[in-house]
Parts: sequence; structure tokens; C-alpha cells
Amino acid sequence: MTAALPVARRRGVRAAEKGTDRAARPGVLWVLPATLFFMLFAGLPLVLVAVLSFTSWNGLGTPAFNGFDNWTRMASDPSVLQSLRISAVLTVLSWAVQTPLALLLGVWAAGRQRNRAVLSSLFFLPLLMSTAAIAITWLTLLDPNFGLAAKFGPSIGFPDGNIIGSSRGALGCIIVVVSWQFVPFHTLLYQAAARQIPKSLYDAATVDGAGRVRQFRHVTLPQLRNTIVTSSVLMLVGSLTYFETVLILTGGGPGGATNILPQHMYMTAFRDYQMGYASVIALALVALGTTLSMLIVRFSGFAKMRSTLEGI
Amino acid sequence: MGESPLSRRTFLSAAAITGLSAPILSACGTSGPGGAKGGAKTLQAWVLVDQAQNRVQNTAVDDFNKSATGSKVKLLPISSDGAVYADKLRVSMGSPTPPDLLFNWGSGSIRNYVQAGGLMDLSDKLAADTAWKNSFLPSVLDAGKIDGKYYGIPMRGMQPVVLFYNKSLFAEQGQKPPATYDDLLKLVDFFKGKKIQPFALGGLDQWPSLMWLEYLVERSGGPSVFENIAAGKPGAWRDPAVTAALQQIRDLVGRGAFGTNFNSVNYVNDGAGLLFAKGKAAMHLMGTWEVSNQVDRHRSFAQKDLGFAPFPSVAGGKGDPNAVVGNPTNYFSITTKSGDKDAAVAFLKKEMAAPAYVDALIKTGDVPAVTGLESRLAASPQPDFARYVYQLVQKAPSFTLSWDQALMPQFKTPLLSNLQKVFAGKQSPEQFVAAMESVK
Amino acid sequence: MAVVRQSGPGRLRRTAGRRLGRANWAAGVASLVWLAFVITPIYLMVKDALQTTDSYLDGGPLSLPHHLTGHNFADVFDRGFTHYLINTAIVTVASAVLTVLLAFPAAYAIVRSRSRAVSGVFRLFLAGLAIPAQATIIPVYLMITRMHLYDSLTAIVLPTVAFGLPLSVLVLSSALRDVPRELYEAMTIDGSGSVRLMWSLALPLSRASLTTVSVYSALNAWNGFLFPLILTQSDEQRVQTLGLYNFQGQFSSNIPGLMAAVLLSALPIFVVYLFARRWLVAGMAGVGGK
Repeated sequence: MTAALPVARRRGVRAAEKGTDRAARPGVLWVLPATLFFMLFAGLPLVLVAVLSFTSWNGLGTPAFNGFDNWTRMASDPSVLQSLRISAVLTVLSWAVQTPLALLLGVWAAGRQRNRAVLSSLFFLPLLMSTAAIAITWLTLLDPNFGLAAKFGPSIGFPDGNIIGSSRGALGCIIVVVSWQFVPFHTLLYQAAARQIPKSLYDAATVDGAGRVRQFRHVTLPQLRNTIVTSSVLMLVGSLTYFETVLILTGGGPGGATNILPQHMYMTAFRDYQMGYASVIALALVALGTTLSMLIVRFSGFAKMRSTLEGI
Repeated sequence: MGESPLSRRTFLSAAAITGLSAPILSACGTSGPGGAKGGAKTLQAWVLVDQAQNRVQNTAVDDFNKSATGSKVKLLPISSDGAVYADKLRVSMGSPTPPDLLFNWGSGSIRNYVQAGGLMDLSDKLAADTAWKNSFLPSVLDAGKIDGKYYGIPMRGMQPVVLFYNKSLFAEQGQKPPATYDDLLKLVDFFKGKKIQPFALGGLDQWPSLMWLEYLVERSGGPSVFENIAAGKPGAWRDPAVTAALQQIRDLVGRGAFGTNFNSVNYVNDGAGLLFAKGKAAMHLMGTWEVSNQVDRHRSFAQKDLGFAPFPSVAGGKGDPNAVVGNPTNYFSITTKSGDKDAAVAFLKKEMAAPAYVDALIKTGDVPAVTGLESRLAASPQPDFARYVYQLVQKAPSFTLSWDQALMPQFKTPLLSNLQKVFAGKQSPEQFVAAMESVK
Repeated sequence: MAVVRQSGPGRLRRTAGRRLGRANWAAGVASLVWLAFVITPIYLMVKDALQTTDSYLDGGPLSLPHHLTGHNFADVFDRGFTHYLINTAIVTVASAVLTVLLAFPAAYAIVRSRSRAVSGVFRLFLAGLAIPAQATIIPVYLMITRMHLYDSLTAIVLPTVAFGLPLSVLVLSSALRDVPRELYEAMTIDGSGSVRLMWSLALPLSRASLTTVSVYSALNAWNGFLFPLILTQSDEQRVQTLGLYNFQGQFSSNIPGLMAAVLLSALPIFVVYLFARRWLVAGMAGVGGK
């Protein structure tokens, strides 16, 4: 892996085009196990969830087809629309909270000073814990009478510590907990990316008399553009998985205030046992995930970057 | 628990055999979990995780297994959370290998399984053995009936919801537990004036709030109101008793009966129990299990201060003040797919009313639904409380099962969620009724 | 897209870090605030886990620990937590090994093959990235029960690996693209076939990415919650995350016991972090960069 690598590779491509490449090429057989496995346990379920969306099934016995019943029901079901809205709010807010934090922390932690290295090794501790462990720990902290909520609630507008039990507070709690859990990961991405920025760019900026803030705006940010996109995609698509946190912390409450789409689907499927209807909600979830990723890809030129790596 | 890796590996290989042989076996209708070859099986008995209870259940299992020549029983504690347990059970009942014996709450908790032909009708077995049948309190045995048939045998204590109060605190303040709803309102105002939260309430877990609705509806309208709701009669939620009860709840919340942060307080991690035990709340409406919880965790409070009273009467209400709500008991039911139904029946016959099992239950603080216990309850760690509960249930003309257990599954989430909104002041009683009527 | 490349420290000589001589005090203070936010829950978890039930409430939530005890840990072990950890370890190792075994040949073929079908497979995995696992849980549950795998550790491993494949294939193929074509040519002159090429050329040269993929799939499996929640039921098959979820009600007021269990569930990863921080972190950053 040398600096000459890209050149070498380009030359290789040309050689291949001229047909001078005689190295053995693996056939389709090589991708078969992974593809079959993926299709069986991820692809097939995706097809099946579409099939199940046209059935009525209570988890026992065999699903029975019921046409578009589930679909027409969803169209007029206010609780699904509400869940969709809450999911959107949670997704946008948690993105807006996590991105600046991770970006600044990552750039800061990219510095090679000793104190930064020590601190950032502590920053990454939440990465090591499971969602279940994190949610359970926070649940005890949020007790309004005996936990931290009692101590800090008054200073953030909850004089009685009633944070997780109020609609706005509960959503805030979810955002705080997922930020605690996921900011470290995104910090890691930014840290690694910031370390790749050539020093010469900063030297040039310094010569131009740019201060720290201007350097950040005109050198660091543009250089991190790709990482911002990557991190945002992971964050937005990842926000659909906050389900575990919601299930353990609030169960969707109070009064459905944190009932995000995956939680709604889970409850419909495994508490209410309306598997067919839950499948429609699941499809909405797939649509949401795909749309989000595609939008980001479209607006960021992400696809182009990817395609440059494809097909050597 | 705490098994060695070796026994786990043995288990895995057993599971692998079952997985392979299940399709073949089910063709002859003898498939069962842990189905070893030959006649003797290992019957899986699913129960809720509860250390003290599981220990007692295991003594019954061991006693049965000692003398059993054929199939043995194995206890499988699944989860401590009733909702999670119900989920798991549901999933397992849909699988080819459901448990043989399953702990349940009767009524809505098993109605679907009965309709799908998944549970064994025990009526004949009970009719054929009247001594066995008569060993259970009839009201509690009957509460396990579905469509006039018995599907469950009472297997543990009765758990009515009781009004707990802090005896020492009440004595200090010169107060008495409320006999009427008006007394209750006066107590709320009194304790609020003393800067003591009148009632502890674990609103974060949602179901503790439901107990208030259950009792208030029962007192205002009698048991028929909820019977109609459970039967799915059109307009049943519109009963004036429901609206009246919700109005009372809003009034109680407005008066500060539960403090202000009750929706942030959990019950499962003892947020509410701790408030009550530390004297920060004067009363706690909760199932009888609260006593064993408090004994386990705050022993001195449980011994010195824990008082209990019936839920007060409501003036002008149609309900009998002696009626109770809660969990009549838990039942063991047998699945039709069980590999050895006769052995499962034999287990229930031999153990569920056996003096050793009943006495062991009493020692854990349970009050079993078994007849003729008056003298034996002295062995309970809380003999006064045990006698109190025993009489409470004997006297009760009706024992309404907790709504979240009795209703069909699709009602559970909307019920709890909408009620939480009423408690939070985000929904009017009329909106609640409309929301529940719209659930299909 | 490959923003974060696997790179040894040696390659990072000329970087942003030392660009400014004077210390950035504002950022330093802000990072200390963040540190407090990150550390407080962990401190409380450790502190509560070491205290007796009676004393953990004394002196408020943030007080210094006193009356230290190891009793809570003994209690957690008594309740079968060792068994859950062993189950989780089995699932973790099986998932990581299976992921690598499946993903590496696929990634190798994607980079080296000229078949149309193979590039179609690459696009399939790209699209697969966007499928949220939650959305397919109902059919996965249906399939697992029909396959008679319900309530087995295998039931957890299969979908866990399937949903880990897209990212693993992408990371690995992206690393394999960095292997210079000339090397393949050179080995071909020796008469090596595809298997030899993969084994003695591609594999050693993509060791860093293999670490990335193994670490990431292992962490995912260790911390997995949804698949075990839906696909297993019995105590025998319980993994640590579900063990925690169950302990919640069981320990009720006993928050010290619960926190001891939480601490124990993270302990193995903490130990790995302590001794092999570099590749654990590289593993996670590597995946994110793809």
C-alpha cells in the first residue's frame, strides 16, 4: 500500500481493457453461499412481509388472505400517522443533536495531544455497552424521586423530576439516551477522518491569516464533507432502530408520545397479535428507510463516490 | 439456573433431536418438547419468573418426579414481566412445540388458545373426581372457566388488589383508612396539606394506573359493566360508570392524589414501592404481591408499618362494596399438543391441592385458592394479612380479573395508552370512551 | 466514500493534530462537560453495583460510594448469569466466523470476477444495507418456527449473520480493491488458481479489514436484542441482553443487583477494550467509513 497505488491501479485497468490480464477470475459460484444466505434470511422475509400484509394472521395457525383490508385500515389509522410523525421528529432531532456534537468532538479528538487521547478513550466507553444495558441504566437514573432526574430536573424545567413521564420530556429522554449511546461512534468516524486531512491545507490557511474558526469552516468542514454524509446516513437509517431503547425506557408512553413506528409495529405484532396489520406497518418502515437513504444519496452525490469504487 | 456447560450441551443435543424428529412425531400426534424416544417425556411447565414461587413449584415438581414412573415434569421460568411472558407464550403456542403445562391468568389470557383448540378441556376430569374439584374455592375455580368449561386448575395464591396504607404514618397523623370515597378525598387533601404524597403510583409501567379504573368502575356500576366490555358488546364502553370513574380519576389527579411526577415513576424497578416504604407516600393501591415485595426489600417497613384495607365504597354506586378486582389466581392449563396429557393431569391432581404444596405456598405469603385453609394460614409470614385476603375473597360476590388480562389482546395497548393520557390530563373521559369504542 | 482507510499510525505523520501550537481552551472545557455527561451514568452504574441495597440510597445519587460489597455480583451469578454469558459467547463466535466465511469469498469474487451476475450481487448487497431488520422480524419469526429452530441459539445466529452480510461484503470488497492487479498477474505466472490467489494473496493483504468485519459482527452479536427477544424463549437459550431485560422485574427494588448485572454484561468487552483498544476502535471506525 503505497502512495503510488492509485496510479498502479489505473494502469491495471487499462491493461485489463487491452485484454492482457491473464490472472484467474473467480466465477459466480464464489458469491453463491453469501447470496443464498442473505436472500434466505433477509431477502425472503422482505418478500414475505409484503405477502403477509395481505393476510390476517394472529400468530397461531395459518395466515388467511384478506385482500387490501390492512392497507385501507392503515390509510385511515390515526395511530400509524402519529407514529410516523413521532418517528420523523425523533429522527430529525436526534440527527440535529448528534451531528454537531460528534463533529466537534471528533475534530477535537483528532488532535494528537496526550490529554485528548486519554479523554477520547473515555468518550468511547458507551460504545462497549449494549442497548439493553444502556437503557436499563438510564431508567434507574430517570427515577423522579430517587434518581438523577430529581437532582437535575429542576434546572432543566422539570421541577418535580417528571421528565420521562411527560410527553416532551420522554422524547427528550430518548434523544439524550441515544445520543449518549451513538455519539461516541460518530465521533470515532470524524476523528479518523479529521486525521486524514493534509496538514498542508492548514499551513496554507495559516499563511492566509485564517484563525481557528475560519480554518474550521473553510478547511475542516469541506474536507469532512464525505464523512458528514456517511455519518448522517448511518444516523438517519439507524434511528429506525431506536426501538430497543423505546421499548425498555417508555414502552411507547406516556400516552403514545414516544410510540415510534418500529415500536408500534412490535406492539401490533407481538402484543396485539395482528401480524398482518403489523406487516403493513413494517413495509412503511422499509419504505421510510429506503427513501431516507435514497434522498441522502441523491442530494449528496454519494452515489457517484460509490460508483468510482465499483467495477475495476 | 447456573448450570454447568456440560448440562447445557446435553440440552442442546436433546433440542437438536427434538427439532429433527418433531415433524415425524407430530404426524402421530405425539410431538412434545423434549420428546425423548419411548413413552416417557419431559413435560415443560412454563411459569412466571418469581424466585419464591419457583422454589415452591419446584418442590411440587420434584415430589411428582420422585414417584413418577413415566414422564417427568420440568419447570421453565420464562420472564418476570407478565406482558413479556404473555408474548413468549403466544409465540410458543404458535410454534410446533408449545409447553405442556402453562401458567396463565385464565379468561382473555387463554381465550384465543382455547378457540384455536390449543388447550385441553378439564371439565370431565374435574367432574370425575369431585374430591379434587371441591378442594378449590368455587368462585376462583369458576373464574377460570371459558364458555362454561374448565381449562385451568388454580396453582397459586389469590391476588386481589388492596388498598395499602402506612399504619404508623396514619397513627401519627390521627387518620383512619377510608371507608367511603368521600373519606378518601378527605385523606387526599389532608396528606397533601402535610406535604406527603397521598398515593404512590407507578404510572410509567401503565398497568398500576389501570387498577384505579377497575375499582372505580366496579364500585359505580358493578361487575356487569366490565362483563359487557369483555364480551365485546357494542357501546359497552359508553356505560356511564366508565365515564364517572374516569371523571373521578381526573379529579384525583387534579387534587394531587398521586403527586405530579407519577408518570415517571416505575413499579417494576420499585420506584413506587420505595416511595411508599420511605414514608413519602401514605397509601398504595396494589395487588397483594406488594406485601412479599416489601418484605423482601424493605423488611422493617413491611413488618411495622404496612396496613391494608378494602377499596372504599362509592356513594350511590351500584357495585357491591365487597366485590374485588385483581387476579383471582393463576392457573395451570394443559396444551392439546402435549406429549403426555395424562401425566400432565396426574401432576395437577397430585400436587396442586397437596398439603405440602399449599403449605409451602402459604409460607411464601401466598393465600392459595384452596378450601378449608382458615387454621393453616397461621403458618403464613403475614398471618393477619393472609386471613384478611382469604376472608376478603370468600366474602366477595364477584372477583373481576384485571382488565388488561381479561380483554382480547388488541385492546391492551390502546387501553393502557389512553388511560395514561387521562391520568396526564391529555384526554377527556369522552375522548377515552370514543377511542376505546373505535378499537376493533 | 472510503473516507476512513485502515491505516497504521505510521501513515498519519502529517495530520491536523499539531496544526496549532496554542491550546484550545474553549474546546477543552466543552469536552470536559461532555466527559461528565458520558461518565456520570457509568460512575453510577459501578457505584450502585458495589453498594448494599440499604446504603445505595443514602446521600443522594451522586455521593461517593460507601459500604462496598461484592455481594451483588455473587447474587447475579447465582441467578444464572454465567450461563447467559456462555450462550452469548457461542452466538458471538458463531456469528463472526460465519460472517467472515461467507463474506470474504463473495467480496473477493465481486472485486475479481467479470461476471454480470456478480456485479448484480454487489448491487443486491448495496440495496440490502437499507433494510431495517425490525421490518422483517415477523416473517423471520414465521420461518424460524417452521424450520423448527425456534428457541435455539442457531435461530439467533442465522438472521444476525444475514443482516450483517451487506456491510461486511462492502467493507471487504473495498479493501480488496486496494490489492494491486500486478500482484495477481505475478502470481498467475506461478500458475495459481483463484483459490490460491485468494488464500495467499488477497487474504493476507486484507487482514485489517477482516479484523474490522469480525470485530463489528462480534459486537453486533454480543449486544443483539431484537432477534433473541423474538426467537428464543427459555432460560436455557437466554443471552445476556435478554437476561438483563428479565432481571429488571426480578430485582425490582434491588437496583444494586441490577447494576451489577449490567456491569457484568459489558465486562468482557471492557476487558477487550483495555487490552486491544486499537483494533477494537479500528474495527468500528473501519465499518463506519465504508
